[in-house]
Amino acid sequence: MIRFEKVTKTYPGPGAPALDGVTVDIEKGEFVFLVGASGSGKSTALRLVLRETRPTSGRVYVAGKEINRLAGWKVPRLRRQIGTVFQDFRLLQNKNVSENVAFALQVIGKSRSEIRQVVPETLELVGLSGKGDRLPDELSGGEQQRVAIARAFVNRPMILIADEPTGNLDPTSSVEVMKLLERINQTGTTVVMATHDSGVVDHMRKRVVELGGGRLLRDQVEGGYGAAG
Amino acid sequence: MQLRYIFTELRQGLRRNVSMHIAVVLTLFVSLTLVGLGTLLAQQADRATEQWGNQLQITVYLCRDGDENPACQSEVTDPQLDQVVTTVADNPEVSGYQLESKAEAFEKVKELYGEETFSGPNPLLTEEDMAQSVRITLQDPNEFAGVTSAVTGLDGVSQVQDLRDSVGPILDSIDVLTIAAWGTAALLVAAALLLVANTIRLAAFARRKEIGIMRLVGASTLYIALPFLMEALVTAVIGVGLAAGALASFLKFGITDGVAQDLTFIPWVGWSEWGVAVVVVAVLGPALTLLPTLLLTRKYIKV
Ligand SMILES: Nc1ncnc2c1ncn2[C@@H]1O[C@H](COP(=O)(O)OP(=O)(O)OP(=O)(O)O)[C@@H](O)[C@H]1O
Ligand SMILES: [Mg+2]
Repeated sequence: MIRFEKVTKTYPGPGAPALDGVTVDIEKGEFVFLVGASGSGKSTALRLVLRETRPTSGRVYVAGKEINRLAGWKVPRLRRQIGTVFQDFRLLQNKNVSENVAFALQVIGKSRSEIRQVVPETLELVGLSGKGDRLPDELSGGEQQRVAIARAFVNRPMILIADEPTGNLDPTSSVEVMKLLERINQTGTTVVMATHDSGVVDHMRKRVVELGGGRLLRDQVEGGYGAAG
Repeated sequence: MQLRYIFTELRQGLRRNVSMHIAVVLTLFVSLTLVGLGTLLAQQADRATEQWGNQLQITVYLCRDGDENPACQSEVTDPQLDQVVTTVADNPEVSGYQLESKAEAFEKVKELYGEETFSGPNPLLTEEDMAQSVRITLQDPNEFAGVTSAVTGLDGVSQVQDLRDSVGPILDSIDVLTIAAWGTAALLVAAALLLVANTIRLAAFARRKEIGIMRLVGASTLYIALPFLMEALVTAVIGVGLAAGALASFLKFGITDGVAQDLTFIPWVGWSEWGVAVVVVAVLGPALTLLPTLLLTRKYIKV
């Protein structure tokens, strides 16, 4: 589903590459943790999958397509197949929960009838059924992140990318978010999650890909946060 | 594509930035009006030169009885007339000439000022008051000096009128006005472009979070840019409309009901020339707002 082939990414300016010859292959339906120290290149790897940025050398494949070769106008179509969640939720403060989720469908031209049906379903999936009319600042951090996940998942993407989704959450909320991601993974969606949260990684026992200084340090099935785990 | 969304965004966008949009509309309005004015004036100059430049350039008025010119003793005699005609015909600069009789001259005057003025028991002018003339067309309208000096002073010639003398200053001032209108328009167009660019930057900044999310969930660039383009189009249409109105009132009150009443011998521009000016303005206005919007949205919302 996602394949990195000797991917190197050097940002303009001085400094070592953010990614340095990384080769990784993630199958459809997998749940993968991306771990590593700050600055090790996790976010860069996720940005490459979204084609927010392009590799300096090497190839990135998503769903069998080499996405660096993708024409610019096809990039939106790629992104419709990838849901994205961030540490800072990125909800629109002037829209309520339902509208935030619906927004993702509106802007890709889905019909109103489809939106009316799918949005409540998705809110139910993330456990926010009764809270569709709330504004984001009337919700807890964990609830806001679940709205963000609903928005990322409402279009049923093949891939869900999460960059430190529990970074701003207390342990209880983190557990709920992780349960939700696992449930989404069980529907067949490939989940890739960058995280510093050792508790979460150790508890979930999923595949762990560790980066250090832009290099692939470890790729372990059912791994823990640390190498010993 | 959801039109409702586009229109909601458009309305919000226009409201969010009212003062900026008004500034753009006003600048566009003034600059487009000046561009249109320049286009009208250029057409005015064209019409005038077409008429005067090609039809006739020099008129040689011959002596008549009671001529104001003291060199004229009497009505021009046939030998004198022959002499003038030969001089004109032999001149290599002349491409053609035509004799105008007193009767023909009288007809023209009547046409110009209306039959009534010259009929009745006590007319303003009679046919006898008119002068015969030789109307000369030149090979090159600019080479009038040679012919003028060749016929000036011949016996039986009362006056040589080169149309450049009377019309030249008018044409020159139309040219100056055209250049002034276009020059000022160019400055204002630059101002309009900067304002449009600034408006887009502010709007893109105000909407940066939405735009970020739209890109992330895979909205097409066109979809993201559409509210901006619509805003640009709306301001342009208003600007064009105002300019077209201003040009129409300039034409109506300034020309048709104004100078055209006093200076009837000049062929003045009319509604068809106004149409041309409006077309120019209607193409330029949207281009001025849409092109920078396209360029800048590509920059600000690049996928
Ligand atoms: N846009 C950018 N321009 C220049 N350098 C960048 C840019 N983004 C990231 N970098 C650099 O690339 C390296 C990897 O950054 P990246 O954000 O991928 O790390 P990370 O593993 O996500 O870190 P963190 O855990 O702190 O989020 C860092 O050295 C960072 O400074
Ligand atoms: Mg990061």
